[in-house]
Amino acid sequence: MEEYIIETFSLTKIFSDWWGRHKVCAVEDLNLKIRKNEVFGLLGPNGSGKTTTIKLLLGLLYPTKGRAIVLGGDSSDPKINARIGFMPEESYLYRYLSARETLDFYGRLFSLPAQVRKMRIEALLDMVGLRAASNRAVGTFSKGMARRIGLAQALINDPDLLILDEPTTGLDPIGTRQIKDLILTLAKRGKTILLCSHLLADVEDVCDRIAILYGGRIQTEGRVKELLQQSHKTQITADTISSNTLDKIKRLIEAEQKDCLIETPLEKLETFFVKTVIDAQQHDLATSGALSTTRIGDFLTAAGLEGKTRASILEKLVSEKISEAPVSDRRDTEAVRAADETEQEIDKQLLRKLTKEVEPVETKPVSEAAPDEKETEQQEQIQKSILDELTGGSNNEGEKQQGESTDA
Amino acid sequence: MRRIWAIAVNTVKQALRMKIAVAFIVLLFVLLPVMGLVTSGDGTPKGRVQTFVSYSMSLTSFLLCLLTIIVAIYSVTTDIERCQIYTVVTKPVYRFQVLIGKFLGVVLLGFVLLVVFSSMIYSITVYIPRFIDATGEQLNELNNEFYTARASLKPAPVDVSREVKQSFNELVQNRKISDEVLEDDLARRRILEELTKSKELASRSVGPGRQLIWEFNNVNVKSKDPEGKIFVRYKYEVSVAPPNRRIAGRWTVGDYRQEKYGLPVETPLWRESRWDVIRAFHELEVPVEVVADDGYLAVGFVNLPQYNDTTVIFPEKDGIEVLYKSDSFTANYIRATVLVLLRLIFLASLGIFAATFLSFPTAVLFCLVIFATGTISGFIFESFGSLGGGTQLIYTFTVKPLVRMLPQFDKVNPARFLVPARLLSWTLLAKVAVIMVSIKAVILFLLGILVFNHKEIAKVIV
Repeated sequence: MEEYIIETFSLTKIFSDWWGRHKVCAVEDLNLKIRKNEVFGLLGPNGSGKTTTIKLLLGLLYPTKGRAIVLGGDSSDPKINARIGFMPEESYLYRYLSARETLDFYGRLFSLPAQVRKMRIEALLDMVGLRAASNRAVGTFSKGMARRIGLAQALINDPDLLILDEPTTGLDPIGTRQIKDLILTLAKRGKTILLCSHLLADVEDVCDRIAILYGGRIQTEGRVKELLQQSHKTQITADTISSNTLDKIKRLIEAEQKDCLIETPLEKLETFFVKTVIDAQQHDLATSGALSTTRIGDFLTAAGLEGKTRASILEKLVSEKISEAPVSDRRDTEAVRAADETEQEIDKQLLRKLTKEVEPVETKPVSEAAPDEKETEQQEQIQKSILDELTGGSNNEGEKQQGESTDA
Repeated sequence: MRRIWAIAVNTVKQALRMKIAVAFIVLLFVLLPVMGLVTSGDGTPKGRVQTFVSYSMSLTSFLLCLLTIIVAIYSVTTDIERCQIYTVVTKPVYRFQVLIGKFLGVVLLGFVLLVVFSSMIYSITVYIPRFIDATGEQLNELNNEFYTARASLKPAPVDVSREVKQSFNELVQNRKISDEVLEDDLARRRILEELTKSKELASRSVGPGRQLIWEFNNVNVKSKDPEGKIFVRYKYEVSVAPPNRRIAGRWTVGDYRQEKYGLPVETPLWRESRWDVIRAFHELEVPVEVVADDGYLAVGFVNLPQYNDTTVIFPEKDGIEVLYKSDSFTANYIRATVLVLLRLIFLASLGIFAATFLSFPTAVLFCLVIFATGTISGFIFESFGSLGGGTQLIYTFTVKPLVRMLPQFDKVNPARFLVPARLLSWTLLAKVAVIMVSIKAVILFLLGILVFNHKEIAKVIV
């Protein structure tokens, strides 16, 4: 197995003008080492060389000096390419293709068999919440919707290495949350993720390690926890405490001759926003935008293995909210939830009807509580075997490749 | 292959959905039937179908060529400009596969449109005689001279070198040329050139009361069907134009050897005296039985002195030829369509080659220049061919090889075969396919791949 998924050796990119005069030094002497199963964040202000680095890694630009090794080889090799998912900084999509056609096109570029392709397209459309808009031309999409398709496109091959260039720009908070969930899920499955961003909050939430670029050079690099830990401070979070107890605590701390600050923590705006939108969705308000089912594509969550037990973070969020909510409110939400479930059920049936004619078994969603357990099992089996075949196959190939390259 | 196909399909979708092809398609769909209705040619049914086929074929071919150039360039340059190529080349496809996919898509689009429009032209062409209620005689003429594919034979060029030598010697003996001139190499050569020219002209001229005979071998008429015809196509030039611009001539077609050597008569001799307008093509319609069994045929022309008092000259290039049916109109038409397809294939690879290193407008301009040069290559050769001295030398080593490298579209223009119902043989087609597609187009395409493989796709060039 490769020790490093991405390794660069004093990678340098200097842009020259037509006469060969050096104009911009976008990346200088970059030595990146990204281990397997790491979520690595490349940070930096605008123009610090993040995107150029990614382009160099992907072979879209050629280095002036140095070398980049991706997945143990050259990233322009189709065998290596087949294991990479790439979401560019803007969704560079064919505007005249519909969402479904877009995914189908990219699926074909990976030579995915028709059944797998169909199954993944449905799962991905569900995941990014564009099922309703799947037959609209991508050119008519809003920026955020286009980003979602861009993401789906990067995931169609169930990549071992996912390269995300500014993954959350242009996305609404729900989409952002979702991408973060996705990154965590994929990391749990042993995938490696390289993302670059200047939205620090996003990076902080998901990255294991980060590097901060400035002027094409790495300024700092290290584990997020280590870099951000404030070793001289302690934070205590508790449920609401009576002022009596608070005074006691204050005194205790003052006895140790330390400063202390007590305040009611604010809810994160992201969490608050997500809650509000979920409420609106449950009241069935119409939207022409993305309507996410918030479910991560089954094939991305190792299908049957965890699919059934896994509830997405959003669902968790919602259920947390219910436990906190007053009783009267809860009844409301429960009613709505029930309605929502039946609606989902109808959707599912519709989908089944639609898909049955073509591929009766492959395209049904798996991990939702399907009425017919036998079918679900069968479905899981198939998905598992396809997945095993695909991931196992590609892994083996990767190993072989690695073996060859080390031999050489 | 599946990857290439996916890219090809995407390219076709792009061309159709981005509405690049729409203007061309609509234009052709409207223009072709209208042309079928309004063309009249010289007023005869034959003139009418000839004009229609000539215009409609040329227009379709021209528009599809333009379309192919534009779509080929557009599909590559927009992908690069709009960065969509980033998501394609980072997938497991080789870059050459991307180009092949685009090329295939462009050719596919061109092919489908070509099939649609050429079948439209074909249907209209075949329908025109019925539409204008042609008489039986006119129909007969059409079937013999238009709805057919005729092979053509031209007389072998006459070797005049001996005569030239002889008259030069005479001139020298008669002291018409001074010794000074004889010693000057350049002057001598010029005298010889002039002599050759005049002798060649003499071999194509017929004075009043004189006769000229051309002999043809290998007239391979397929069957000696008594209804079958062969055609002698000719054009008169004159030294002094007669007042009525007509020439009276007596034509004899058949096996002259019978008379010459007094052999027993096996095939009849065919004779006709007629008036013909000068500087226009005319055709003699001769029963096929006059051709000798061994494929020999002689054509004789007598300049009738009682009506003409001028010398008749048959132009060097197309003064006289023998035409005979050797294939059907449909087969010839299909081959003519394939000829257009070969053109499209060449232009598709030219466009893709240009698009790998030029931006959209520049690449279009570049390809149009090449297309236009290829279309008038014959004219270029002709006009530069008459240059003299140093300019000639520069031309021979610069422009000429360059233009030679381009395809000569005008030489293989489908209308040139269909209008005079001339046979477009598979051999010629294969020759064009080999030179224009297998060699020229493939070289261009390989160059394109070379450039594209080394291109830094994400590099912004301003």
